[in-house]
Amino acid sequence: MKRGFFLILSLFAAFFLFMVLSFMYDTASGEEGRSRGTAIEVVLKSALGEDMDFWTVVDQGLHDAAREFDVAIHVTGPPHEKDIDRQIEILDEIIEEDPSLIILAATDYVRLAASVEKAQDRGIPVITVDSGVKSKLPLCFVATDNLEAGEKAGEYMKSLLTGLPGKKAAIVSHIRETATAIERERGVRKALGDLALEETWFCDTNVEKAYRISRELLKNPEIGGIVALNEGSSLGVARAVAEAGNAGDVMVVAFDNAVQEMIYLEEGVIQATVVQRPYNMGYLSVKAAAEVLENRKVEAVVDTGSVLITKDNMFERGYQELLFPFSGKF
Amino acid sequence: MRHFFSFGTLESRIYTIFTVMIFGAIFIMQLVAFRYTEKTVKSTAIESNRVILHQLVSQIDSYIQGMEQISDALTGSREVLDWLAFRGGISGDMPPGGIQERLRHYIQAREDISEILLVRTDRQILTSDPEARINPWTALQDKPWFSRAAEAGGRTTVSSSYVQNLLWGRYSWVVSLSRGILDASGRLLGVLLVDLKFNRISSLCQSLIIGKRGYNFILDSKGNYVFHPTQQLVYSNIRTEPLEEVLGMASGTGESLYYLDGRYYMTEHSPLTGWYVVSVLYESDIITEWKSIQLIYTLIALVLFLVVGLVTHKVSSGITKPVRRLQEIMGRVETGDFPLVGELEGTDEIRDLARDYDIMVGRIRELMAANVKEQEQKRKSDLKALQAQINPHFLYNTLDSIIWMGEMGQCKEVVQMTSALSKLFRISISKGRELIPIRSELEHVRSYLIIQEMRYKDKFRYEMDVDPRILDLYTLKITLQPLVENAIYHGIKEAEHPCCLGISGWLEEDVVHLEVKDDGVGMDEKALSVIRERLKEGGGRPGRGGHGVGIHNVHERIRLYFGKDYGLSCHSSLSRGTVMLVRFPLLDMGDAS
Repeated sequence: MKRGFFLILSLFAAFFLFMVLSFMYDTASGEEGRSRGTAIEVVLKSALGEDMDFWTVVDQGLHDAAREFDVAIHVTGPPHEKDIDRQIEILDEIIEEDPSLIILAATDYVRLAASVEKAQDRGIPVITVDSGVKSKLPLCFVATDNLEAGEKAGEYMKSLLTGLPGKKAAIVSHIRETATAIERERGVRKALGDLALEETWFCDTNVEKAYRISRELLKNPEIGGIVALNEGSSLGVARAVAEAGNAGDVMVVAFDNAVQEMIYLEEGVIQATVVQRPYNMGYLSVKAAAEVLENRKVEAVVDTGSVLITKDNMFERGYQELLFPFSGKF
Repeated sequence: MRHFFSFGTLESRIYTIFTVMIFGAIFIMQLVAFRYTEKTVKSTAIESNRVILHQLVSQIDSYIQGMEQISDALTGSREVLDWLAFRGGISGDMPPGGIQERLRHYIQAREDISEILLVRTDRQILTSDPEARINPWTALQDKPWFSRAAEAGGRTTVSSSYVQNLLWGRYSWVVSLSRGILDASGRLLGVLLVDLKFNRISSLCQSLIIGKRGYNFILDSKGNYVFHPTQQLVYSNIRTEPLEEVLGMASGTGESLYYLDGRYYMTEHSPLTGWYVVSVLYESDIITEWKSIQLIYTLIALVLFLVVGLVTHKVSSGITKPVRRLQEIMGRVETGDFPLVGELEGTDEIRDLARDYDIMVGRIRELMAANVKEQEQKRKSDLKALQAQINPHFLYNTLDSIIWMGEMGQCKEVVQMTSALSKLFRISISKGRELIPIRSELEHVRSYLIIQEMRYKDKFRYEMDVDPRILDLYTLKITLQPLVENAIYHGIKEAEHPCCLGISGWLEEDVVHLEVKDDGVGMDEKALSVIRERLKEGGGRPGRGGHGVGIHNVHERIRLYFGKDYGLSCHSSLSRGTVMLVRFPLLDMGDAS
């Protein structure tokens, strides 16, 4: 009885000592003991292929942020951006695994919404990156303000067309009903007004198809410029213009930064290209995810911004890495 | 159990004070140790980071130096100088295959070289690859590597990192080493460009880091980024680095370490490239490193505390156990007991205390015994005095009777009474002895009765019936006389009729019984119970005078001598007389003497 009492007293005091000391240093060390090891699942629009520079850079941003914010991430995606069914399948499989958070770049604005709702039902928070879904559930949408990006492209095209009176601009977009396509087109049309042809051509991210479309478009004498809304369409359009030999006659404002586009830009086939910041997209989406996991408030929309690149500024120090990302390729 | 939990006990006091003190001591020690270790760990981490930074800088430098050797070899080459100076067989328009071969050789040997080329004053460019086309949309004079090399004389200049677009359709991240090639008179003949693949430097920067989150970045002499692991964030202003402070540090003034938002910055300048290599160390990485140390410290404290707690408990109970034992034994004094402690386990002080206590208890016992004896002696002497006190009235009356009988000429009676009185006194003195044979006692009471019989003529007569076997047994002297006196004065004297007083004695189971019986007035219940009450009280002093003083004295004396089992008992009833019985043990003759 007596021995027990003193033993308990000692233990209690020792425990108290332990608690006080470890608490003191826990608070001193601040961010320690954060959600390390909890996996964040990232489902991108397409698996990382050689040609998809955009997603490679996003991936780099994702991983750099994961290191900095000390979270574990796992990146997957369908083989191709058009493979919507496959992405839904992947997402559903991931929901079954009950990750702590999902970062999604939706291949389809409408069809992915159901899966997002399913994740929400299971209490898995979702953050969308680059392309959102038709749902209010995602806590955060990290993307280029595509409307603004489109406007930039449109404004530049408009200034180019002032030198070509009476001419109009055509719009070659990528995939119908994709959030980015819709937004960019709206931006371009907003800036161009009636300088834009009413019809929009879709190339389904296929360079060949964009090329064929452009060949047809170039036969139309009314057209003084073409705005291409993504990498594939830009390459197709530029190729058609270059081959037709009317570089500088037909203005091209493109999107994205494939190497070939850079060459076209230097050659003067493409007058300008609107470039997103994929690295920041990846980085900021993981940053937002880390904040969600820490139960901090996040902005509903994070604009990663876009830059209009012309031949004059393409080798400026600030833009070089944007156009030629460090991925071992350059 | 009560005293274990109250602060009043020695044990709990010692324990609590020790525990609190040790707790405080360990706590303070831990605080100091923590602070100290935190400092040490931090400075160690920073020191090793500095070492690694230095290593990084020297690796970059030696890498660049290695490249310079190539440029040395080329600029010293006859063939190259000839081509640059428009000498040699082929007027200079056709690129000499020999030089190109050498350039290609270097590139193949060193895979980290992206391109080597020569620029002649006529802007003719000689590359390693005869197939390569010069980018028609680029202007040499816009290229910093070209203009700087032209200005720097024969020295090598190192550019910042940038995308080289000199060859058509090829874009590569490079760091350029460029160098003007002069002729003997110091005239510029051309420029040699060695493009180093930048990923070599960037991977160096990314491999030599400390902690999970630490990183390095490089600034050129103007404060522009040569390399930053999250360059895009820097350029889009999502992340900013404290460039001014970092460059200030490198200039040698002020601190060599800069702290901002949980990050430590340290810079080293590379004179060869003119770059500033900055290493960033996260405080949280340092903390995770010594987190484990902290855990060990706390565990040590815990174990220490437990051990000390147990030892304290042992020590405190070692001290207090004998004290408590002592306390328990001493506590019994309250009950009037004086036990000895005896041999006790404990410290010297406790043992001394126990021994002294035992001595004290011994003394107290002795004193108490002496005191009891003294008291007894005193009471005995009191009683002795009392018994020696022959009622003066009796003496006076007796002497009066003698005088009166003398006057009457009753000579015979005078002699009889006087001799009885003489015998009475002689026996009552009996040479100061307390115990006398029952025979003498009977003689004594008979003398008394003779006197009283003569004084109260015809008032009573007496009979003696004593077992002759007990005559030689001993009794306390003056046992019967007070009883007889009492019987005469309170029983017989008041009676209307002549009475009879009987004295008898017998032995019953080693107890001597002496009885004085009268058939006088006797006592009512009330008077009897008063007398019995007095006898029962014992020890107390009987009230002076009045009824039964003599009886009481007899009773007390017997009890003093023989113990509480013996003494006087009284039976009486009104007008039928009184019986007084004295009981005392058969005395050993040895005792008597």
